[in-house]
Amino acid sequence: MSFLGPIPLAVFAWIALGAGALAVSAYIIKMRRRRFEVPFARLWKRVLEQKDANALWKQLKRLISLLLILLILALILFAALDPTLGAVSRSARSVVVLVDASASMKALDGDDTGKQTRLDAAKEKTKALIDSMGGGDLALIMKVDGQATPMSRFSNDAPMLDKIVDGITASDTPADLTRALGAAADALRDRPNPLIVLVSDGAFPEQQLGLVTWTKTGEPVAVDPKIGKGAASWNAKNLASVDLSNIDVRYLPVGKRSDNVGIIAFNVRRYIANKAAYEVYVEIQNFGTEPAHRKLKISNGSNPVDTQLLDLAPGQRVHKIYARLPASDDNKLRASLIAVEGAGGADVFPLDDEAYALLPARKKQKVLMVTEDNLFLEGALLVYDNIDPTKVTPAEYDAKPAIADGMDVVIFDDHTPAVLPMPPASLMFFHPMGENSPFKVSGESSSPHVTEIDEGHPVMRWISMSDVNMDKSAIFSPDPKKGESTLAYYVRDSLIVAKRDGKRKMLAFGFPLQSKSGVTDLPMRVAFPMLLVNALDWFAGDTADLLTTYATGQRQRVPLDGVVGATEAEVKGPDGTTTRTPVIDGLATFYGAHVGYYDLAAKTPDGKTLAQIELAANLASTVESDIAPSTELTLGGKKLEAPEAFAVTRSQKLWIYLILLAMGLILVEWVTYHRRITV
Amino acid sequence: MVRPALSGAFKAVKPDAAPKKNRAEDRSELFDEKFLKTLEHLHMVSRKVFAGNLRAERRTRKVGSGIEFADHRTYSRGDDFRYIDWNLYGRLDKLLLRLFEEEEDLSIYVLVDVSDSMSIGSPLPKLHYAMQVAAALTYVGLANLDRVAIIPFAGKLVDRMPPARGKNRIFRVFEFLRNCDIGGKTELAECMKTFVTQNKRRGLAVLISDFYDPDGFEQGLNTLRYNKFEPFVLQVYDKREAEPTLHGDLTLVDCETGDTKEVTISKSLLEAYTAEHEKYCKELEAYCTKYAMPFFRTHTSIPFDELVLKIFRSGGFLR
Repeated sequence: MSFLGPIPLAVFAWIALGAGALAVSAYIIKMRRRRFEVPFARLWKRVLEQKDANALWKQLKRLISLLLILLILALILFAALDPTLGAVSRSARSVVVLVDASASMKALDGDDTGKQTRLDAAKEKTKALIDSMGGGDLALIMKVDGQATPMSRFSNDAPMLDKIVDGITASDTPADLTRALGAAADALRDRPNPLIVLVSDGAFPEQQLGLVTWTKTGEPVAVDPKIGKGAASWNAKNLASVDLSNIDVRYLPVGKRSDNVGIIAFNVRRYIANKAAYEVYVEIQNFGTEPAHRKLKISNGSNPVDTQLLDLAPGQRVHKIYARLPASDDNKLRASLIAVEGAGGADVFPLDDEAYALLPARKKQKVLMVTEDNLFLEGALLVYDNIDPTKVTPAEYDAKPAIADGMDVVIFDDHTPAVLPMPPASLMFFHPMGENSPFKVSGESSSPHVTEIDEGHPVMRWISMSDVNMDKSAIFSPDPKKGESTLAYYVRDSLIVAKRDGKRKMLAFGFPLQSKSGVTDLPMRVAFPMLLVNALDWFAGDTADLLTTYATGQRQRVPLDGVVGATEAEVKGPDGTTTRTPVIDGLATFYGAHVGYYDLAAKTPDGKTLAQIELAANLASTVESDIAPSTELTLGGKKLEAPEAFAVTRSQKLWIYLILLAMGLILVEWVTYHRRITV
Repeated sequence: MVRPALSGAFKAVKPDAAPKKNRAEDRSELFDEKFLKTLEHLHMVSRKVFAGNLRAERRTRKVGSGIEFADHRTYSRGDDFRYIDWNLYGRLDKLLLRLFEEEEDLSIYVLVDVSDSMSIGSPLPKLHYAMQVAAALTYVGLANLDRVAIIPFAGKLVDRMPPARGKNRIFRVFEFLRNCDIGGKTELAECMKTFVTQNKRRGLAVLISDFYDPDGFEQGLNTLRYNKFEPFVLQVYDKREAEPTLHGDLTLVDCETGDTKEVTISKSLLEAYTAEHEKYCKELEAYCTKYAMPFFRTHTSIPFDELVLKIFRSGGFLR
């Protein structure tokens, strides 16, 4: 038996002595009794005279009570020493079990029937490993997928660890081995006999397998012939690599089959020139060693786009481009690999047989121009295919503002109306003036020119205005608190401003295009039609460089259109679960753990949606799709061995039994006291 | 470990605490309207009882100056002519004398123990109960034109309500019982000795007490017997006094003598005490039975009116 308690035995002896003395003195000290008035004490005296004949037994009973208390005290103090049966071996280990829960662990080759996943097999092996633990062995379970998640603390409680292992589920992300090894090494720092056991199919990128050093940081490392002699004293690789010096790393392989055909890329984009059309790119690879056959189906929502049979040689990778596909109402695209009859027609890894993509929503915008005849404006809008322009005079609009109902965009050319069109119509103003101006006008500048533009704003993308001349321009005073921002400056004066006003957006140019109040040569510049297209795209929420299809397991920053003031966004996953993600500077952090469509929405505290975007996540990982299991794994140039059985004597903690016994005795003492047996 | 102690009929006192006002001292609510109604009821019931058996027992066989006819006897010389039944002489031609029952009034002495031990009891102190019983008996006695006196006692005869007759005196009885002094140590023998000395007219001595006298009850009762009084013994106790529900380590203080005794209450001790209490009561009962003294034992949970009727029916109280 050994004692694992934190208090030294000598100190403990003093504590025990003190506690014992306290208990004994409590019995010796005369008890202060409550006084009770009785009508006839003579009767009590007569009773007690008879009772006193048994005085010896009475004394003995008190002695029994004292002994009972001392026994309870001894049991509690003994339990505090943490007595443990069985010898604690000096070779007891601290073990971190890394359970691979990446996408490839979903392959259905855990058993011969094809019903068990690799992860199920990994769990069995992990539990067998835990059950073989003994003595002072302590284990920590860590789940490895796109992240490294410790699932427990260091413990030798096998049933608890088994339960934790049972609760591990695989995600649809590649494994980040470097991160997991780093976390395991940190957890094992300063622990005796550290050991890492990696239970996996070995599907890791070569780069990650190399990011390991087996020598202490700071010590001279072997010279990498690629880097050269001069780098021997300071190896840049060390900065990113995981220090596994003095840590024993073992590998437990799982997985049996390697035949798999998967979609490794699936993307879709609109043409910049013709946004009503789009093209699709899909890439498929046969990772098996035998020829494979599949049916590839591309569909846009419920509409099939293409279906074709693929015959793939071992290791062959094919890509297909579907050009100039017409737009439809549904913007969700899906690529599927469908199994076919015959040899090589199916595989055990269905996760990469489906891929998802999204097209930015697109429709023809209805644009109303409120202008006296302005050839420049009308001419520039006519060249853009995706709009349906109409024109009214300012007098007609003022007479009947409802004329703008149903419009997507209303452009006011040198006219500031008293009644604005109802949202969600977005508005564009040229030279707004007076108290009806949507942006506060603080003054007017004569012959200004643009000295600085906000290139980050979608409206000003690819725009140069450095040589634009104008007679005069209104100077705006934008209020950042209202989400108003300046797109073009004349020194510090705001010439072009924009804001998001609820569901709609507004853009205002301080100068008129062509009117009695002034002229500008902007319509003569190349920038003008581009500026209008950018503005209309911005109004429609369509940005050419917006990606909506991401790979799982990677953290992305996704722009949320026009979000002001929101610090959090809600992410609804493909499985229906809702999580929250931070929004910083209008960019939401997105991490897809599962393949499928995600719905990301920034909301106000009262639940009003500020901005919303749909995203698609695919596995898109050749490493994970290559499910061929590695029976051997080489980490940092060192081949990992299989773990040995833990040959340490099984130990048995006694403190819980001692405490239970003490509690039982307390109960006995309580009952005997109240039944007046020990008093 | 906390050892809770529960009080039963006993009063918990703090060590060295200043003596508190006796709870039994407040007797203002003792004889209220409800009490009067109960008495009236008792009176009605007792009249029925008297009409049956008990009344006859009170009549003397002496021929006296009563108004109720009893018998005839042959005239002899010296008899009062006024009692000759002339109607019978006319029919039988014999001189017969009409005899009438002579009624004598009974002296009833109600001796109420007002010692400190009588002040104990929950929810009703034994003293209050004893006073209610005493008042009820007195009322019935007064209503039947007996001479009833009330004498409270403890260490000595505390006070005295002179003999009275007629039920209209009942309010005086209430007043007396409300205001008489109470408290002190029980000395039954000494008190009875004083009582017989002061009261030469023999009669019924109703002794209402708990009989918790450290010197014993025998001498007191014997004093009454030896002096030709007819003792009627009524022992009053509180039920929780007989079967206390105490717990823990206590110092028991005698409320009269101040004697203390340290005890650790156990179930067996409580059982032994209950048995001892019962034994003490049986001793009293056996003593009374032995010397033909009517004895009643009652606890304060029994309504006093029910008790009084029980006494009437037993036939031992009035004769």
